[in-house]
Amino acid sequence: MSRVELVDVSIRDGNQCLWGAVALNTAQILKIAPVLDRVGFRALDFTSSTHMGIAVRNHRENPWERIRLVREAMPNTPLQFISTGLRFISWEMAQPDFMQLVYDRLVSNGIERFALMDPMNDAAALLQSAAMVRRAGAREIVAALTYTVSDVHTDEFYATLAAELARSPDVDRIYIKDPSGLLTAERARSLITALAAPLGKKPLELHSHCTIGLSPRSYMVAAELGTRTLQVALGPLANGSSLPDAERVLANLRELNFTVDIDARLLRLAADYFMSLSRAENLPAGQPQDYDASYLRHQLAGGVLTTTRRQLAELALEHRYPELLQEVIRVRAELGYPIMVTPFPQMVCSQALYNLLGVERYAQVPDQVIRYALGKFGRPTAALDPNVLDRIMAQARTRDIQAEGPMPELSELRRRFAPGIDDDEFLLRATMPGAQVDAMLAAGAAGRHYNPATRPLQRLLRELAARPPLAELVVKTRNGRVSLRRRGRVQPP
Amino acid sequence: MIIRRLFIANRGEIAVRIIRTCERLGIETVLGVSDADRQSAAARRADHVARIGPAAPATSYLDIEAVVRAARESGAEAVHPGYGFLSEKAAFATACEAAGLVFIGPTPAQLAAVGDKLSARQHAMDAEVPVVPGGSAATFDEAVALAQDIGYPLLIKAVAGGGGRGMQRVDSPADLAAGIDRSMAEAQAAFGDGRVYLEYYVAAGRHIEVQVLGDGTRTVHLGTRDCSIQRRFQKLIEEAPAPRLAPELRADIERAALRLADHLAYRGLGTVEMLMDCASGRFYFLEMNARIQVEHPVTEAISGLDLVAAQIAVAEGQPLRWRQSDLRLDGHAIECRINAEDPTRDFRPSPGLVERARFAVGAGIRVDTHVEPGTEITPFYDSLIAKLIVSGTDRAAAVERLSVALGACEIRGVASTLDLHRAIVAAPEFVAGGVTTGFLTEFRP
Repeated sequence: MSRVELVDVSIRDGNQCLWGAVALNTAQILKIAPVLDRVGFRALDFTSSTHMGIAVRNHRENPWERIRLVREAMPNTPLQFISTGLRFISWEMAQPDFMQLVYDRLVSNGIERFALMDPMNDAAALLQSAAMVRRAGAREIVAALTYTVSDVHTDEFYATLAAELARSPDVDRIYIKDPSGLLTAERARSLITALAAPLGKKPLELHSHCTIGLSPRSYMVAAELGTRTLQVALGPLANGSSLPDAERVLANLRELNFTVDIDARLLRLAADYFMSLSRAENLPAGQPQDYDASYLRHQLAGGVLTTTRRQLAELALEHRYPELLQEVIRVRAELGYPIMVTPFPQMVCSQALYNLLGVERYAQVPDQVIRYALGKFGRPTAALDPNVLDRIMAQARTRDIQAEGPMPELSELRRRFAPGIDDDEFLLRATMPGAQVDAMLAAGAAGRHYNPATRPLQRLLRELAARPPLAELVVKTRNGRVSLRRRGRVQPP
Repeated sequence: MIIRRLFIANRGEIAVRIIRTCERLGIETVLGVSDADRQSAAARRADHVARIGPAAPATSYLDIEAVVRAARESGAEAVHPGYGFLSEKAAFATACEAAGLVFIGPTPAQLAAVGDKLSARQHAMDAEVPVVPGGSAATFDEAVALAQDIGYPLLIKAVAGGGGRGMQRVDSPADLAAGIDRSMAEAQAAFGDGRVYLEYYVAAGRHIEVQVLGDGTRTVHLGTRDCSIQRRFQKLIEEAPAPRLAPELRADIERAALRLADHLAYRGLGTVEMLMDCASGRFYFLEMNARIQVEHPVTEAISGLDLVAAQIAVAEGQPLRWRQSDLRLDGHAIECRINAEDPTRDFRPSPGLVERARFAVGAGIRVDTHVEPGTEITPFYDSLIAKLIVSGTDRAAAVERLSVALGACEIRGVASTLDLHRAIVAAPEFVAGGVTTGFLTEFRP
């Protein structure tokens, strides 16, 4: 029987869908990297512009250093960077020479595989990015067919796109990217069949989120139809709005007599590690999802759902979540049904939130929506609602944004920063507030060690240190007794 | 290739040490055990255990056929030989390869090249690494001429012999003739071969070694270690980097060691041992150990590397991850070998039941051991109880930490070298650093 490979997305997409992309620092990844390296994955979906920004902002860790260290710890498994080809960290559209530098630096630091997607499924834009990534020296380039359900997104539409992409020597593989988990087993059958001829010898991968529980089934159909690679996630980073669980997919594939060069023992070790980490850090584990018919209308992908819910909770408005979903559906229609893939879900959600909380719908319009309406992300797939478009064009901010040029040329950007800084630092400074980069540098090298088992004890000790009057603590368990006595002054952390 | 199951052909602390790295890397371990070791700490920690034979090492840990058979039957892809036992036997490496097992170490040819003293010396000379000046002489006149080249003091020994028989030390030309006569006569009488070997005698020397690592194409060094504190050529205390060495001399020693490793196109972890003559500041090649050393943790402490993992990576066919300029050595580390030996009785082994074993814990302290209360130290194997490794930002900090850490250790049930270590660490010569190999012989606690 034929062979199927797995790509693990836990660290990038799993983290983004289920843990808002803010979990997993360098030490936590390094701890499991050697094990992940031995599992036998074809590649690891490792980082993105968003993750690199979060490394700086939230973890005060150098994202380039993280790539280098993990690469060193994982010589056998290529690390993947996913890009829309439009931007790096900042939401501003970047110039081609700037993106070229980004790709060059990613490859130099250890990224070998690139997943490229264009939110509008624009083949020309994808191929332009692929050519740049190839020039940077990438070993494997996987171009996305971003999947959605609409009258225009037919099997023929994807077959035409696939043919165009597959013709390019800069595209090594094609993947069906189903960010919203809309691909049913039935549609997988017709779509993958339609792709066979245009793909020729170029392998196909499937990346379909579990959001309404469809993907575990469609994965098996895909395997039957010769899909070479399935993208999966581990333990608590699977299911929910993330990808199917690696262990379950492996077991199912073997049940169906596929050959999968994956070490099940190591897969379990890695899944167990993420499970202990999720418990130690109070991170929710992904759960298998029920089918939800209404979802087919709002199509909000995993990470965005979680982030939006968190934002509402921070405003003490979590009870208005159902209302917000209704508004999302409406805004998406008014904006011409953008595919709900980065950066559009964030954009639609922000507008929906403004509409929900504002005095009037479209009284306030976020910059992203204005940029979208102005065509700065490319041509919208369908026309915007004319009334909504009028409201957007009437915004004072629209004129500013219209006047605003693209991100400056690389040479111009370089002049703005100290000449001594290296390219990696320059790319961060050009796309992030300087204070955040300064704070990252001041924090020094990222931690190298992490052990989820010691987290509760560390937390206990930190809490104790914060309670000066406590002089002694005795912990008794069945296995023994630990006594801690305060000696001298203890500095609170 | 990717190693997912590893057979460990060793025992004691080094087996535990290898298992620890394998756990981190996700590699499943199979420990080959003799009957005496079925309940050892390493056996309990390994994922699987395979019996290789009776307690006596000749019928277990040294039995190539038994070890290879057990390794092959275990389904392991590779064999880690640790140190001692079969680790430097070219025949073992060859047998592993013949059985389709990856031998974690140098090639059989490299093991053979440095396993024999004369061949190792020749390779050192080919690599332009200084060797102790010397040579063999068949006649009185040849010996006199040779002595002139070598200089004084020098040693005269029997070519055919060993064990010190016929060995003479000659300190000046005036004593040469008598020395040659006596040595040749003794050699003739003892071995039926009157040829003698003359060699420059390093009266006061330091044992300085360099850790090297190669992937078969490229090599790097991981700095020096000083292992001068020895009794009967057994190291007792080791440190990294070697203290009190002029920077140029240190660099010379490191470069020389790399030359040898490069000359051999060395694969894996190895140690080039040198003897430094304190009088002249010259250094000479002693031997090369083609395996992981007991004292590897001090190098790990200052380099931040996991040397067992580095060995495994090389065995997997990974090219070295570092260029020499990527490697940074920081701080200072010292290791004490705590042995079950009685220093007051000429280090006589003290096998028996360990009733109490308590080791220091804390920042900058590492203990590599296979011993816990209830462990039996058997007479079959070496007497190492534990290695206490401390590190600090500099040597003074490391020495201070070592002193505290030794105070926190306790071994009861068997005699140990713990008190001797405490006495050495308190000695002003040790605190100053850079003692010679004669230090321990003279040392009176």
